[in-house]
Amino acid sequence: MASSMFDTLVRIDCTARKAAAVPVDARLKGYLGGMGYGTRILCDEVDPRIDPLSEKNKIILTVGPLTGTTAPMFPQACIVTKSPLSGTILNCYAGGFLGAEIKFCGIDGVVLEGAAPHWSLVLVEDGRVTFHDAMPVMGKSTTETEAYMKKKFGSDARTLSIGRAGEKAVAMASIFSETRTFGRGGAGAVLGSKRIKGMAFKGTKAVDVADRKAFQDLVSRNVDIIKAACADSHNLVGLFSRVGTGAGMGLVNSKGGMATRNHEYGVFPEGNEIDGWAYAKKFYTRAISCYGCPVHCGMLHKYRKRDTTESWLRGPEYETMFSLGSEVMNKDPVVLAEANQLCEDYGMDTLTVGVTIAWALEMGEKGILKDPGLKLAFGDSDAILGLIAKIGDREGIGDLLADGPKKSAEKTGKGSLASAMQVKNSGFAAWMPRRMKGVALAFATSNRGACHKRAPIGDEIMGKLDMDSYEGKAPIVKEIQDTVNAIFTFVACRFHEFVTPKDMYPAFLAAATGQKLTLPELVAVGERIWNLERMFNVRAGFGRKDDNLPDRCFEPIKGEASQGAVITHEAFDRMLDEYYAVRGWTSEGVPTPATLKRLGIEEKR
Amino acid sequence: MGTRFAFDFEKCTECRRCMADCAVVKTGVVRMADSRIDIVRGWPELPEMRVCRFDDCDGHPCIAACPVEAISENGGVVAIDRDACTGCELCVAACPHNAIRMNGGTAMKCDFCGGDPACVKACVTAAIAKAGG
Repeated sequence: MASSMFDTLVRIDCTARKAAAVPVDARLKGYLGGMGYGTRILCDEVDPRIDPLSEKNKIILTVGPLTGTTAPMFPQACIVTKSPLSGTILNCYAGGFLGAEIKFCGIDGVVLEGAAPHWSLVLVEDGRVTFHDAMPVMGKSTTETEAYMKKKFGSDARTLSIGRAGEKAVAMASIFSETRTFGRGGAGAVLGSKRIKGMAFKGTKAVDVADRKAFQDLVSRNVDIIKAACADSHNLVGLFSRVGTGAGMGLVNSKGGMATRNHEYGVFPEGNEIDGWAYAKKFYTRAISCYGCPVHCGMLHKYRKRDTTESWLRGPEYETMFSLGSEVMNKDPVVLAEANQLCEDYGMDTLTVGVTIAWALEMGEKGILKDPGLKLAFGDSDAILGLIAKIGDREGIGDLLADGPKKSAEKTGKGSLASAMQVKNSGFAAWMPRRMKGVALAFATSNRGACHKRAPIGDEIMGKLDMDSYEGKAPIVKEIQDTVNAIFTFVACRFHEFVTPKDMYPAFLAAATGQKLTLPELVAVGERIWNLERMFNVRAGFGRKDDNLPDRCFEPIKGEASQGAVITHEAFDRMLDEYYAVRGWTSEGVPTPATLKRLGIEEKR
Repeated sequence: MGTRFAFDFEKCTECRRCMADCAVVKTGVVRMADSRIDIVRGWPELPEMRVCRFDDCDGHPCIAACPVEAISENGGVVAIDRDACTGCELCVAACPHNAIRMNGGTAMKCDFCGGDPACVKACVTAAIAKAGG
């Protein structure tokens, strides 16, 4: 029977500069694809205690059953590796056209192993792998590196790259793909540790499905649902469709949940100067889609830089409007655009970069940190842009900051850790745990640190759940973590699930690959993956002590609209106990043997 | 009416649903090389939409360029007889809209899907539509 999966992975041995196609076995097949494949392979093959920047680490880049098909909103590719930022297992995602092109190569993903003897570019053509000299692009930006690869390998190649930050082992370095980003957790530094500056994919294979008629019917139904959502100006996805992910800043502000000034305040009064609507009004704006996506939330803007030269960028996204906007008290959309571009040039996660800079600015104002050339103060444009460059180059104070907010604070001391807004050294996303108690639990327990992708954000901010209540949040967070993990085996865009009935996922899977699972069985795959990740982290030394929030979260938010929202240690501990209980974990946060058995996870010695 | 597309390049989000659906309609599977339309990114400028202009093409130079008369026009639809095509690529070079691609050794182009183009149905923003339709 035809299938949308090729049941083939390509293992690339960077040390030997060789590659081999390997079949996907029945056991791995049970993990469906995407994040499932990546997690299973990493847990099987990588010792959790290794140095993530050693050649023992691996990068598993995968796609899923709907990638490269006509199903809408499945453009992304998934990377799983051990994070140099958090030290935990990491999964991260980039949209655009890379995912589909990997599938067009006739493969379900690649596993990068070892480390190349010298800096290389890797070309994957229909599953054939060749290594090429990267010297001409060393030190170059992600944009320049990818342009070089397209010139060298063909304009139709789909590319990924690292910038200088990835070359210099900056812990918040990302992997970029045509402006889309494997953002979180420092995957760029891992690719750099393998001396791979970039990769290009060129595929000519056809993607078929198991049941063409059933699949086409599902696609039509799903596209209609998404089109209806896009036409609805009260639907979040509909708003994204209009001006991008930055559409909702006003709503978050009105609820007093807009993280501002290193998370001290819950309202950024100048939000309407830098949100999606502001960019659409002030600058030339054109909507850009990822592969096959009817939502087109990516906005391309043309603008003039501070020095009046003409420029453009695709973005900023909402999370960056927070991290390089409200969090650092930057109300200038031009500075924000330049800051975003600078992160893109260096190849860094705008989130952890912005949060780390916000902490540094606060420490500057308190007299704890100094820089010879920059005035470390909130809202200082030169400081914001200057610190980005210094982090990317590991220059001066940037060398301290490049290791992440927690490590920077630990080295700095003087009580500065209390206001480093991170979990497991990964910078906070745009949300306020104090204002949204489900987010608090999700940030604290995320396997990759301070992650917003598996938090009940929509329901809390839209009022479907009482945002300030702790009650019942533990099972809700568990459910969303498991469900999102399950759909990340498909490598769905996170927004797909906002509008798509969940019963469509097993239906899509059956029509695409012939694998028949009920929805509860599918969610159980997500739970299995969550527990595999947790076991990896436990073996790496993580436990209850790390499922925590910085001290600032236990002080009231400033500003009227936030109503003094706060978390108490007692309530937080109770919520965490409840969460461990619903997960079937010990009070120290370790999955019990019975839980592992229930999930079909075999114990490793 | 006639055989013509209407384009709104500002509305094209470059999602390539038109290409994927074109390939599926023509071959049953997604394979971008089989698409009769090609969207070419030109960031930050607007994309190219490489597909036959039919009635809006001045003189159909592809027909004159073909040495074996494999290309013909019938009721506005310009079509290639791929069995007759020798793969010389002269039509590819002659097309002012870069709308003809080589595919498996012969030239390939849009045939307007018998008057109901799949790309038009696939486009959620109506960046490509049937003119007057």
